[in-house]
Amino acid sequence: MSIVLEHLSKVFGGHGVVSNVSLEIADGELFVLLGPSGSGKSTVLRMIAGLLDSDEGRVLLNGRDVTGLPPQKRGVGFVFQHYALFRHMSVAENIEFPLAIRKVKPAERRRRRDELLDVVGLVGFEARMPNQLSGGQQQRVALARALAHRPEVLLLDEPFGALDAKIRAELRRSLRRIQGELGVTTIFVTHDQEEAFELADRTGVMNFGRLLEVGPPMELYLRPQTEFVATFLGRANLMVGECASDSVRLGSVRFPLDNQITSTGGERRVQVLFRPEDVAVRDSPNVLAVPLLGKAVVEEAGSVGSLEKLRLRLPPLPGVRPISPPVPFGVDSILVDATRSQDQARRYPMEPGDEVWVGVRRIHALLHPGLSFLLVAGGGAGREAAVDLGGEIARLAHARVTVLGLGSKGSGVAERLDRVRERMGSGLAALEIRHSSAGLADAVERETGRQPFDLVIAGRPPEGAVEAAEGALGRGEHHLLVVPEGSSIPKSVLICVAVGEPGKEDVHFAGRLVRHVGARATILTVLPERSADPARAQGERFLAAAARSLSVLGVQGETRIRKGRVLDQILAEFREGKHDMLVLGVPLVASGARASLDGHAAEVLKEVRDRPVLLVRSRGSE
Amino acid sequence: MSGRRGVLPGFGLAMGFTLWYLGLLLLIPVGALVLKAATVDPEKFAATITSSRTLAAFRLSFGAALVAACINGVFGLLLAWVLERYDFPLKRLVDGLVDLPFALPTAVAGIALTTLYAGNGWVGRHLAVLGIEVAYTPLGVVAALTFVGLPFVVRTVQPVLRDLPAAIEEASASLGAGRLQTFFRLIFPELLPAAVTGFTLAFARGLGEYGSVIFISGNMPMKTEITPLLIMIKLEEYDYAGATAIALVFLAISFAILLVINALSLRSAHPVRRG
Repeated sequence: MSIVLEHLSKVFGGHGVVSNVSLEIADGELFVLLGPSGSGKSTVLRMIAGLLDSDEGRVLLNGRDVTGLPPQKRGVGFVFQHYALFRHMSVAENIEFPLAIRKVKPAERRRRRDELLDVVGLVGFEARMPNQLSGGQQQRVALARALAHRPEVLLLDEPFGALDAKIRAELRRSLRRIQGELGVTTIFVTHDQEEAFELADRTGVMNFGRLLEVGPPMELYLRPQTEFVATFLGRANLMVGECASDSVRLGSVRFPLDNQITSTGGERRVQVLFRPEDVAVRDSPNVLAVPLLGKAVVEEAGSVGSLEKLRLRLPPLPGVRPISPPVPFGVDSILVDATRSQDQARRYPMEPGDEVWVGVRRIHALLHPGLSFLLVAGGGAGREAAVDLGGEIARLAHARVTVLGLGSKGSGVAERLDRVRERMGSGLAALEIRHSSAGLADAVERETGRQPFDLVIAGRPPEGAVEAAEGALGRGEHHLLVVPEGSSIPKSVLICVAVGEPGKEDVHFAGRLVRHVGARATILTVLPERSADPARAQGERFLAAAARSLSVLGVQGETRIRKGRVLDQILAEFREGKHDMLVLGVPLVASGARASLDGHAAEVLKEVRDRPVLLVRSRGSE
Repeated sequence: MSGRRGVLPGFGLAMGFTLWYLGLLLLIPVGALVLKAATVDPEKFAATITSSRTLAAFRLSFGAALVAACINGVFGLLLAWVLERYDFPLKRLVDGLVDLPFALPTAVAGIALTTLYAGNGWVGRHLAVLGIEVAYTPLGVVAALTFVGLPFVVRTVQPVLRDLPAAIEEASASLGAGRLQTFFRLIFPELLPAAVTGFTLAFARGLGEYGSVIFISGNMPMKTEITPLLIMIKLEEYDYAGATAIALVFLAISFAILLVINALSLRSAHPVRRG
């Protein structure tokens, strides 16, 4: 392995820009690190080069731990977006610079320089000054210079970002050829998915500082595991359906799946993806030999080069929630993107307004179902905290968010919601703003009846926190995060579990949330003071299993067993361990009944007044 | 450049105004000086210029201005570096202090420096112990010129240093260059044109400086008498021809030196070489 990254992390101003990135890159591989701007991909690259120190984790180059070494001693070649050529030096002097530094003899320097000029196709440009070259030529010089001292790895930070499309394509081909000839292990950072497809042996997709998925680009395109990767790598039709063992139901139609999905934690809903080219469109249902989604109306039709793009509108399907393409506010139909070859478009012409039948050739279920949050805003003191922290967590978790504003008309709730929309608008998968003048419990019940949520986030009122929590939990299936004023993103989460089935649910959901916010987790179980050894052994086995499921989610977890009164021990561990979020299971209630918090949950909620408390509800119980 | 519309109206108008403005401010006074000099008897002219007192004044003026500009070149670079690259308490105050020599009346500066560096002054007292005299010696002239020339190099180098892409230093480090190599091979050559400009300005200012120097120099003919003062003395003696002659030669030499430095710095600022 030429490049190995182990749990690399970087924090800027209390904000994690790179969280726990681990990666192995093989000898001679061309790896493309892909992500939107601000996703932390350049930070990772700079930490590999030593231009930036990592806060945690290690960097190994060819088996050598270089984590503490300065850039001079790492033996890397780095190419910058804006070339970073030395303006007062000629092309030849630029390329010879790393050799001159190493006191290589002039004759040998000239030989290597001529060799590199030949490789990058700039023979005869030796004497030019950088300002006499075009952008593309300058970047070729920068590449030659980065390769001159025969580095072990080559790192390129958006090298073609400042160039026009035609030059980019040309340079991509050159780079692919040069990298192949020299066999130097390469990491290429870009936000352009086209570059990933054209260049990469393998690609890794980053968002919000986390490396989401790694694989060959076409593999990630066809079989992504996360919603972000599905939508970032090309256009996607993404919706939530219901899952069975080897098929998924969208409306009344069953689609066979190309992959086995292992249903975890009793999830019945699943996100499915089909690409525009997987959509078959014809004017009659009988000529389509694929499962039919339904009859749609053509919304838009237009040609881009070799393809025709169609946008189709389907009537709402029971149990199906569209995610992408996003449906405009107040519309309940489902939009589907399709592409056809120009040949198909000529043979079966379609225009906006035409009625057509839509089938799907191939469908893919995502491994990780996306999260959807309901944020309760307003309705009394202490409730704004939910919007602040909830919005931040939603951004990190790439969750779809509905903000529910409480308060009678004229109480300023409309203006408040406008501010919320402005503040949260960017970085969320989807944002919907709703308003209700009902009380907390009724409003939440109405919203969760409209569409299911994974998590409701509500502020902690100064008084009656337990009653408010019971109201917000209500009859739904969602979990509840109670947020006191002034909370920030948790860094250390205490998950309190009882040994047994409901405990697994707690660990699973809390683990997903903890993974997204990039926190550490401690799993705690409390045994009675005089418990027998078998009970203790069972507890230890359960905690070990829980820690394993956390590590599968990419969360570093510790385990603790305490003995004594449950409430005392939980509070003691929470304070001593300096944790800043508490996770608790909600007592089981009969299906369809309102949740009632008694015993430990109520006591803990009363005691922990200044930190967020996550109440996890067991699902699938009778 | 035909066909390209600039912000200002037509080349003719802009050029015409520039010439008129330069003429009014610069060429007419200098022209008058040259005309006046032309009326001077050549023998008298030569005698004035070659008199040992005049030559001594020339030597002191050019020598002290050169030394002061060199000192400012080195320490101005250092000051600019510290102000741009480091954060420290009261940085803005220190940055503002750099401009003080511009704002302070030169006479005030001269009197302050004299008080400090005189044999019984705060600084001069300790220097006297070491056998170094500053006030009333050529060293004092250098001190005054260094003071008034301080802002030039700092202010010309600062913006260049600020605009220097950080990627240059990062590229250098990734290519294996140590800190000193990066500074002397990459950063210094980038700063050099600006530093030369600052040096030239400080040198020019030093040549013309009058107010601050006359207090600290003691104005002894042959020893600490600067050229501007000599011209002043000639005028006071109603020796207009002598004053004109010295002024014209002083102007010509200054102009020639500035022209040479500018030509040199122009070449290093636009390094276009063909092979």
